[in-house]
Amino acid sequence: MKEIIALSDKTITINRNEFLKVKGSIDTNIYYVESGSLRIFVLDDYEEQTIRFGYKENIIVSLDSFLTEKPSDLFIQAIKKTVIKVITKQQIQKFLETESNRTLWTKILENLVIQQMEREIDILTNSPKERYERVLKRSPQLFQEIPNKHIANYLRMSPETLSRLKKS
Amino acid sequence: MQSEKLIQQLLEQTRQITNQAENLKTLDLNTLTWKENNTSWSILECLEHLNLYGDFYLPQIETKLKTSISNPEIEFKSGLLGNYFAKSMLPKEKLNKMKTFKDKNPLNAKLDTAVIDKFIGQQIKLMDLLNQSRNVSLNKVKIPTSISSFITIKLGDTFQFYINHIIRHLKQIERIQLAMKNA
Repeated sequence: MKEIIALSDKTITINRNEFLKVKGSIDTNIYYVESGSLRIFVLDDYEEQTIRFGYKENIIVSLDSFLTEKPSDLFIQAIKKTVIKVITKQQIQKFLETESNRTLWTKILENLVIQQMEREIDILTNSPKERYERVLKRSPQLFQEIPNKHIANYLRMSPETLSRLKKS
Repeated sequence: MQSEKLIQQLLEQTRQITNQAENLKTLDLNTLTWKENNTSWSILECLEHLNLYGDFYLPQIETKLKTSISNPEIEFKSGLLGNYFAKSMLPKEKLNKMKTFKDKNPLNAKLDTAVIDKFIGQQIKLMDLLNQSRNVSLNKVKIPTSISSFITIKLGDTFQFYINHIIRHLKQIERIQLAMKNA
């Protein structure tokens, strides 16, 4: 992963609640989070649904836009003041001209596919308790980094249900 | 200009506008209501003025988007009047004062931070309308202006005009903050 981060020649800071990306925009960058935290969400009829989080040492990307170079429905918003490194698609493409780098890149993409599958199972799991336990087991650090109300939204439950589950 | 390119540019401007408003939310009420003199506007009054414009234009655009039977077009060509309106809104280096229509003047209205939330809500709505506008022609759909319902401008120009007007007053807000620092 550090090989990818090293490609970046631009660091930006975004304040709490500022948007890195909005619905309908084309964003082909990959972002590496140095500090702070962000969330990816979609908005339908004024209801937000959080899809993914990014915090210290994570990669955050609007993967659909990155792959297709087309507009994406995703919003990316800072949860608190966040410092990120920007890696452009052009930088990645240049990096992939080297054979050995392609192996590394495939590993990163494979890992992403696995994460997406885990997330799909989360969403299709009926019991709120089970959803909570799956995520806690997979990403215990999430609960240190992200405020409860956002985690509750991610888990598709009320903040009250989440606090009850955390206590039990 | 290509329609999609215009939409991308307008979405990016709206993103920056929204971020600037998010930062205003961190200011205290004293700063938000400070004014240089009796006839000048405070930060909240500037935003309320923009909200009044939003209350006029956003529903107009939404209705036209819903009822239009036009097809999307690859190219957007600015109209003569629309282009003039949009450009005239942009702030010049030295402030070019403009007259405010009475019904859009918020001077000395009772305002609180709900004004900022409303403003941000309007920007989210604007993004939604920009996305929806991909399904219609930015050339053929015409929007009546607030000056007169007989004067209409192309949807593509209306978006640019509307956003430039916001940028103009956000610049004014920057000047108010500067004046307050120096006061």
